[in-house]
Amino acid sequence: MESRKTGNAPAHFNVGDLVRVKDLPNLFYSRTQMYVRGVRGTIAARTYEDLLPEDEAWNRDDAQPEQFYIVRFRQKDLWDGYPFENDTLQTELPDRWLEPAGD
Amino acid sequence: MAQTHDHGDHSHPAAPMVEEISDFEILEIAVRELAIEKGLFTAEDHRKFTEWAEQIGPAGGSRLVAKAWTDPAFKARVLSDGVAACREIGIDWAEPTGQGTPSDYMELRVLEDTPTLHHVIVCTLCSCYPRPLLGHSPYWYRSPNYRRRLVRWPRQVLTEFGLVLPPEVEIRVEDSNQKCRFMVLPMRPAGTESWSEEQLAEIVTRDCMIGVALPRPDRKADDVRPVHKASRPVGGEHHEPGGSP
Amino acid sequence: MPSRSELDLLYQIGSQLAPAIHQAQNWPYDVPHAQYEASLWPPHDVGGQPDAPVRYEEKEEEQWELDTYVTCEVLGWKGVWNAEERRRRGNNDIGLSLYYDFPYYGRWVLCAARMLVDKNHVSLLELLEKIAEVKARYGKP
Repeated sequence: MESRKTGNAPAHFNVGDLVRVKDLPNLFYSRTQMYVRGVRGTIAARTYEDLLPEDEAWNRDDAQPEQFYIVRFRQKDLWDGYPFENDTLQTELPDRWLEPAGD
Repeated sequence: MAQTHDHGDHSHPAAPMVEEISDFEILEIAVRELAIEKGLFTAEDHRKFTEWAEQIGPAGGSRLVAKAWTDPAFKARVLSDGVAACREIGIDWAEPTGQGTPSDYMELRVLEDTPTLHHVIVCTLCSCYPRPLLGHSPYWYRSPNYRRRLVRWPRQVLTEFGLVLPPEVEIRVEDSNQKCRFMVLPMRPAGTESWSEEQLAEIVTRDCMIGVALPRPDRKADDVRPVHKASRPVGGEHHEPGGSP
Repeated sequence: MPSRSELDLLYQIGSQLAPAIHQAQNWPYDVPHAQYEASLWPPHDVGGQPDAPVRYEEKEEEQWELDTYVTCEVLGWKGVWNAEERRRRGNNDIGLSLYYDFPYYGRWVLCAARMLVDKNHVSLLELLEKIAEVKARYGKP
């Protein structure tokens, strides 16, 4: 539904920034896949602002909306021994799950 | 068949059924009837949504791709604002509620293939799929098997679908896990230079827009796979709320 | 009411479902960390888990599957729940056995039923009586 929520949470990242996905504990629910946690990627796009799934899943409608991004990873960084140099994977993550990764 | 529900008398014959009604059919009827009885929605709401859900399908996506292939300005709009471009070909993501469906959201991103880049979509967490544009996802797309393997062994899975790509082509897996919905814009194949939009649309099959196949001038349907038939398929006999079987 | 032999079958299947992680579990005093993490890993997060190739099939949709989809979506449309509540309930709060044992829309319809009870739109007994009434209506034993 077009229920897009917007707020005043700062968006910390821009296209091209190197980021690392936070490795928060796993409990009850998440839409941040295990395989991206702790892995470095690049911001490929800024998408929209909305509630985080961890809030929306419990219908916390008044929670703080945040910026979402499409993050691009090298497959070699995601999977040990991945044999193809150029292959990539993209998935979408909210600001809260990302931290700057530097160079 | 007349409505004769005498629950105190179990001597009347059971309703005639081709195949016994399943546990899930029972549960579905119970949930739907209770929701209507409690005023959570009306039978008319359900009918209206069903009407929309029965007419969606991959044909919309095929038309979008064919038009993008023949009209560079339209292609630019497809890539910059997918939902607005869909409206130009008569697909309104706001349907059927005026605000879109609860599960699809109005965020479409079309992923353009190039000679050195091939996209393929998956939803490892559930089954996110651009329903308004491609219809309901195939069952294999929702299966744990495809979801487990595609992100980690994409070339192996694509090979099983009959698609072998050279190592120098970057394969980019798009794991659709939040509110964006994705569709692949494949490359227009050689040998279709003089074709009309209608002709082109015929070779853009569902699998090409998921990214597990490439369009070919000689193929107007997805590769033949085994089909598991439904016992009571959509469009057949319908258990109306409160109605007779 | 299941017969004693039907009940025995249910018990047999139930005991086969329990050791889904291939280790006998009987309320251990403690759980090693890796076991703790693996047990709390949300069932829906399957990307990267090893699996053998299968032949991908097309499946024709059953009428009840479309009806289930529509019911869940209309409940969202009318504000009774949002899609993320459905995904959590449908995918995660049901345990691994149900997650893998039920068909795709079987999980959807089950979580819609549970949501109606959890949010107090119906009582559990109302739901049970309705299910019994529908079974009787369609002559299901």
